[in-house]
Amino acid sequence: MSDVIKNAREIIQSYDGPKLRIMEVCGTHTHEIFKMGIRNLLPENIDLISGPGCPVCVTPVGFIDEAIYLALEKGCVITTFGDLIKVPGTKSSLAGARSEGADVRPVYSPDDAVELAKENPDMQVVFLAVGFETTTPSACLAVKKAQRLGLSNFSILTANKTMPSAYKKLAGSADAFLFPGHVNAIAGNSVCKELTSLGVSGVVAGFTANELMTALAVIIEESKKGKPFFVNCYPRVVKDEGNPAAQKLVESVMESCDTEWRGLGMIEKSGMKLRDEYADFDARKKYSVPDIQGKPNPACRCGEVLQGNCKPTDCPLFGKVCDPIHPVGACMVSDEGACAAYYHYGPSINLN
Amino acid sequence: MCVGLAAKVVSVKDGTAVIDASGAKRDVSAELLEDLEPGDYVMVHAGVAIAKITSDDETESEGVMAGLASHSRA
Ligand code: SF4
Repeated sequence: MSDVIKNAREIIQSYDGPKLRIMEVCGTHTHEIFKMGIRNLLPENIDLISGPGCPVCVTPVGFIDEAIYLALEKGCVITTFGDLIKVPGTKSSLAGARSEGADVRPVYSPDDAVELAKENPDMQVVFLAVGFETTTPSACLAVKKAQRLGLSNFSILTANKTMPSAYKKLAGSADAFLFPGHVNAIAGNSVCKELTSLGVSGVVAGFTANELMTALAVIIEESKKGKPFFVNCYPRVVKDEGNPAAQKLVESVMESCDTEWRGLGMIEKSGMKLRDEYADFDARKKYSVPDIQGKPNPACRCGEVLQGNCKPTDCPLFGKVCDPIHPVGACMVSDEGACAAYYHYGPSINLN
Repeated sequence: MCVGLAAKVVSVKDGTAVIDASGAKRDVSAELLEDLEPGDYVMVHAGVAIAKITSDDETESEGVMAGLASHSRA
């Protein structure tokens, strides 16, 4: 064990101050923290809350319904990050739609979807653009490439989201945030710094054991000082200004819009949609997708889980009706979802 | 889907970089990073290199913890 980890571990384990609620905003953090057994090291007065930062988990039911509509009613080939395939819509998931004839293909990147459209001119390819600041640039690059290639058979269904409004909505749910490293790698640190003036504290963290332990130790030490704080604990990847080229690209292709987050409801100006100049690549406009109001399973408590108001194990469906093979809510689908993380690692961890 | 991939740049040409992630090679977009050169380390998301990686995590964590110590004394 390195000296840094030892030092960080000592700070964490010897913490005996008032209750400290730390929210991991990012699903990858949730997953890594479970996997490394970090929860077992925490004293009782530190509570880790798994927040909404998994794009799959916050994608609303209605979005899945829209994708199924495009596949079954319009005959489009749906390309998507694999996690989304199992997410339940109102009646069925994309996996379910497959059995009714939908052509749904997992891709590694939106660029793969553009290549598929290029090679198959008679296919109508739609890419499901979900994700936060980190992933949105890849969707914008894909649209620009499709335009450059003159493709008329490629479009995207947007559900892209941005974090700042969500942070504000969640402000009271935790004493400090573990900000998602790769969102800040693109967006920079200014938003997080501004949040300190609203009394919101946090650190931006990387994903290795060194980085996560250090980030938790920094939160503890800074909290003791009693003032809102922000510290960049991931400087090898996150620069203050973020990635200006990515910011410029997204700004030129997309604009902000109000959007629904599963569990959190409508959040003003927290979504991104294609600008009018790119209407030809906007699947909603191209295929005149009707306004679909999705209906989540009323027993699923994902919404409360995402806000830190309850633990996955408080949900009556957890592990009984809802598991990773038959997920009821989106939090059980992706490995990054809080319910899936609890399901996989739950027995070995201290659930506080 | 959000897991970043740390990888070494093997070559760069026309906005595309060939990266090596623990032996697996693939093409990724290099359009969002200026001056990318072979030998650089990058963080890759959904087929796009989004940031350069400027040190290893241990050196980084040492720096952060040292900053904390000097800050506390101040
Ligand atoms: S266990 Fe399943 S049903 Fe319950 S909150 Fe989690 S995803 Fe929803």
